[in-house]
Amino acid sequence: MPISFKRQTLQSLLASLLLGSGLLGTTALMAQDKPVRIGVPTSVQLQVGRDTLTAVKMAVDEINKKGGVLGRKFEFVSADETENPETGISAIKKLTADEKVDLLIGGYTSGVTLAQLPHISAAKTIYLGVGAASPSITNKVKQDYNNYKYIFRVGPVNAAHQARGLVDFISKFVIGELGFKNIAIVGENAKWVQDLVPILSKGAKDVGADIRMTELFDTQTSDFSPLLAKVKSSGAQYMIVVLSHASSDVFAKQWHDAQVPVPYGGIDVKSMDGDFFNRIGGKSISQIAANFAVRAPITKKTVPFFDEFKKNSSNFPVYSAFFAYDAVFIYADAVKRAGSFDTDKVIKELEKTKHEGVAGEITFDEQHDVQAGPGKVNFMFVQWQEKGERAVIYPKELRTGKFIMPPWMKK
Amino acid sequence: MEILIYGAVTSAIYAMLAVGFTLIFGVARILNLAHGSFYALGAYLAYVLTTLAGLPLWLAALLSIAIVAIFGVLVEKILIRPLRSSQLGVLMISLATALVVEQALFLIFGSEYRNVPAFIETKYNLFGVDVAGQRLLTLAVATVSIGGLYAFIQFTRLGSAILAISQDPLAAKYMGIPSDRIFSLVMAISAGLAALAGVMAGPFLSVQPSMHLLPIVKAFAIVVVGGLGSIPGSIAAAFMLGYAETIVAYMVSSSWTEIVSVLATLLMLVFRPAGLFGKRAAF
Repeated sequence: MPISFKRQTLQSLLASLLLGSGLLGTTALMAQDKPVRIGVPTSVQLQVGRDTLTAVKMAVDEINKKGGVLGRKFEFVSADETENPETGISAIKKLTADEKVDLLIGGYTSGVTLAQLPHISAAKTIYLGVGAASPSITNKVKQDYNNYKYIFRVGPVNAAHQARGLVDFISKFVIGELGFKNIAIVGENAKWVQDLVPILSKGAKDVGADIRMTELFDTQTSDFSPLLAKVKSSGAQYMIVVLSHASSDVFAKQWHDAQVPVPYGGIDVKSMDGDFFNRIGGKSISQIAANFAVRAPITKKTVPFFDEFKKNSSNFPVYSAFFAYDAVFIYADAVKRAGSFDTDKVIKELEKTKHEGVAGEITFDEQHDVQAGPGKVNFMFVQWQEKGERAVIYPKELRTGKFIMPPWMKK
Repeated sequence: MEILIYGAVTSAIYAMLAVGFTLIFGVARILNLAHGSFYALGAYLAYVLTTLAGLPLWLAALLSIAIVAIFGVLVEKILIRPLRSSQLGVLMISLATALVVEQALFLIFGSEYRNVPAFIETKYNLFGVDVAGQRLLTLAVATVSIGGLYAFIQFTRLGSAILAISQDPLAAKYMGIPSDRIFSLVMAISAGLAALAGVMAGPFLSVQPSMHLLPIVKAFAIVVVGGLGSIPGSIAAAFMLGYAETIVAYMVSSSWTEIVSVLATLLMLVFRPAGLFGKRAAF
């Protein structure tokens, strides 16, 4: 469509202006003690992106306070990759070619990251992904190691792991504790959901769920009432959603306004935002959203980071903040172990990472993807409760509150 | 039953959008691509006035409709009028306006969704179907406003002037009808209706910077199907499209709804370029 195309060109123009002004100050520095430059390509218009930047800044400040790494300080520049692959590619080009960054930390939309990969590998720059979940991203590392060895995913755990996390939630909580066997699965029609839903419905069936309906809707959908009416008449007792780029806000509002007698939860990326509840006037009450970034003692670093972040920002951190913060330290540690900034040596050390971060213990598998599981990075299921409080519901050992039903379903 | 009710709400919103769009085309021959921006501005103003300025909702709604109507008049006076002799010029300038508005919203509010408060929070049960009060209100408001507009055009002097211009601009001019002033009036009505749709639909549809796209695509489709410039045609087409989308969402899948309007436009242009009620082909 010509209209959206125009918008992107305007945006990239704006981005290049911003970047151009940042470039002037740094060229005069000497090569030897010049700071390590971190490029942050992300969707700066969204909270995922803003939080990535805040977290990188926090990590950079902390490292610099301790004198940097191998005598070099850290600094960072950002570029807006939006949710559009074209803009994403120009963001990478700007960061690698113009800004000459030493590593990249960022990402959000899988489609954008996938489009960026060839450009990242061509620039031979280490990339630590902190936002995108498609398994296809790190599959590239396996398919063509020499070209794609620069790519790592610090988080979130990939869509396949997420599907398994969701299946655990269904079997142990929705069926196990609530006793709801009739499930409806609703998701947006996007790449990572298409990857995830087959694994999800098969897994759910295996644990004894009765899948009453499965439907993917167009990400442009703005009226969900037909869909919600179908869910209601399907006889489902619980609705599992898989949403990220679609209008989660509108979905929750319409669900609430029509008082759909089916509680819902699942993966809802927008609902990970700390301000989601207030943004939609409290209409997400009782919704459960999978999250990585919660104020719970996942590791001993989690709660202090969460509180520190709140001081630096107007909101609570979303998942990208956890991973972005960890990513900076993972890189710094790898450099220390390698004793050099040489890319190949650092990659070898990155592969051996075993980092206790704020999101859990981070280790990479043979295709540079973060590993999931107990004690490692894990999904937590968090429910919106009265006054926008969030309570961890699942896993049980981290539970911080009692499950509530939607207000119109209370007996 | 669900199809009947949800379809009616969807259709009513489409009708509010399409009537304004077709009106300004019928009268002034302006194919206004910034029409969706009026809808977006209506919703955003309601958001700003209620959430940020703390005004009561009804006042915020009236204010936003008035502001958008004035904005519409200014756009017509300053930007569109000098170019009106050229269809292409009008198309370009209104597209530019739409983009500027979108970018401005983007810069000010960011790309996240915003929440416009609803007039009615309760839920009603109509014939066994759960409907949010806001949707029923939207249906009522749409019926009243379109009915009012129809009465205005049919039964008042100003309305006759509008009709006269749409039938024969030159003859109307010779009769002493001040066409420029009528254009401003029609633009205000058209923009106001779009803003009204934005205020009413804002609480249950999405409010974000690129929200103007959807209404412009729908309005365009409806107007092509109904016949450019024909108000009864666009109301009929709005209902056809609204119901077609709801039925597809029910019977097939929600991922197919968006293609319905585009397909309808395409088929209509191929088989009956004048539209259902149009007297002549518009292009």
